[in-house]
Amino acid sequence: MTMMTAEQYEESLRHLNLKVYMFGKRVESPVDDPIIRPSMKAVAETYALAHRPEYEDIMTATSQITDKKINRFTHIHQSIDDLVKKSKMGRLLGRCTGCCFQRCVGMDALNALSIVTFNIDEKYGTDYYKRFLAYLEYVQDKDLTIDGAMTDPKGDRRLPPHKQPDPDHFLHVVEERKDGIVVRGAKAHQTGAVNSHEVIVMPTIAMREEDQDYAVSFALPSDAEGILYIIGRQSCDTRKLEKGLMDRGNLLFGGHEALVVFDHVFVPWDRVFMYREFEFAGQLVEIFASYHRQSYACKVGVGDVLIGAAQTIAEYNGTDRASHIRDKIIEMNHLNETLYCGCIACASEGHREPSGTYAVNTLLANVHKQNVTRFPYEVSRLAQDIAGGLMVTLPSEDDLRSPETGKWLEKYYRADPGVPTEHRMHVLRLIENLTLGTAAVGYLTESMHGAGSPQAQRIMIARNLNMQEKQRAAKKLCGIE
Amino acid sequence: MRGRRSSRFSGIHPEGSMPVKVAVKYCGGCNPEYDRIALVEEIEEKLEGRAVFVSPGSGDGEVILAVEGCKTACADLSRFEGLPIRIITCREDAHRFIREIEDKSSR
Repeated sequence: MTMMTAEQYEESLRHLNLKVYMFGKRVESPVDDPIIRPSMKAVAETYALAHRPEYEDIMTATSQITDKKINRFTHIHQSIDDLVKKSKMGRLLGRCTGCCFQRCVGMDALNALSIVTFNIDEKYGTDYYKRFLAYLEYVQDKDLTIDGAMTDPKGDRRLPPHKQPDPDHFLHVVEERKDGIVVRGAKAHQTGAVNSHEVIVMPTIAMREEDQDYAVSFALPSDAEGILYIIGRQSCDTRKLEKGLMDRGNLLFGGHEALVVFDHVFVPWDRVFMYREFEFAGQLVEIFASYHRQSYACKVGVGDVLIGAAQTIAEYNGTDRASHIRDKIIEMNHLNETLYCGCIACASEGHREPSGTYAVNTLLANVHKQNVTRFPYEVSRLAQDIAGGLMVTLPSEDDLRSPETGKWLEKYYRADPGVPTEHRMHVLRLIENLTLGTAAVGYLTESMHGAGSPQAQRIMIARNLNMQEKQRAAKKLCGIE
Repeated sequence: MRGRRSSRFSGIHPEGSMPVKVAVKYCGGCNPEYDRIALVEEIEEKLEGRAVFVSPGSGDGEVILAVEGCKTACADLSRFEGLPIRIITCREDAHRFIREIEDKSSR
């Protein structure tokens, strides 16, 4: 096998024995759970689109190991063109799903490890890169979805890992055996964790020698003994338990996050990619973060959906010709396309690392993500402005279907006589979903904190600026020797 | 319509007796400016009897129709080296392609 279909992907998840908890109870079949299932369907789109000729050029690539056609989500970038296509893939899938499709984080973890394992070997003569390539071939051949797990709970933010009152607040090695290591800790906010076949663990911050037990990276099957998942709540999540679909806003897709607990978990040596090489922890974090900041190209696609919804409700409301509405739509597009500029630019200005992997431009990736922490909020504000207050005062689908109340909703919530009231309700629910419902987790708060909170990008922007060259240019023009 | 025109394509089925085999190759569709699938369906409908549409991977295409979502036209056409290629980036390009096939088959 090299590329799974969406149906094969769903079936493959059924064979996993995941320990998933939600609302205090074990979820026996995450694939069939009505709250989790839309998120699985979003990942399934990454498989489905790869088989459709109209998306093949973006969704697939050629493996540098086997020369076989593979899903781009398992690909190691071999050129600038690959990096650009990754950004375009994010927009495409964001537009197709209107939510977080979860699979980018594993791709970013693979690419970061392809660089850092090589670099560790160069310094220490270890064989991490060889192990990594064997693992990569397995992932590509099976077309697996991977959870890239970086964020530790972090405990007291004033203290480094080794000084935490609870040592498990950063994932760490607790035992070294002949055949592998045993780890304990947790990873928070793990997007798409229970839709993943594998989990790749990486350290969350740069580390010093005292933290070397925490400088560990490895891969495990997602149902390995000792791993359990606690699903995070999302605003309006239980609407997915209701009979009707309209009040979900997005009828087809969604996302999920989970706290992933590693309770005394064994990792065999062939799955270990970093072990106590503390000076490479920061490098892995920075390279992964840059890739993942590029990955926020997806928000451009989700922005496309929200802009389309805002234009549609303006037409349904009969306000689309008002000059201020037109101007707001222009502003939304301006912001969204500015985001697109960033993700294309950081890819186009990428470079080749010693391992052969192409990396994005760090400065531009961080600038892009910094914009992502802001612009979707403004795009959402404008969408809510255009939608009007009905977006949050609209009665339920059940009220529309009720013989007692439906006629009143039909009568009083009809605007344009040519547009069914139901259509108006549908698009209002979609805007609600994207700006304050389940999808706002991905479009807004994930835009803020995912791949690092805003200050993390500002630190990286400061670190990657070449201020001396700017000063030299200025001084030359104004006559300072 | 952009694209290379070769004499080989001009010489196909001059009698108009055989439908032309058209292989459709899409770009990746990241941000298309029109519905590419709907446009290809429209082309297929209008050229019924004059063209048959084959998979680009089959090697049977006599002409490659590159359906590009925008003017960036990034579809990877490297494997079609030597074959006549027609590129469409909008409806007008599609209409020109339809006319070209119609002209050839009516000669």
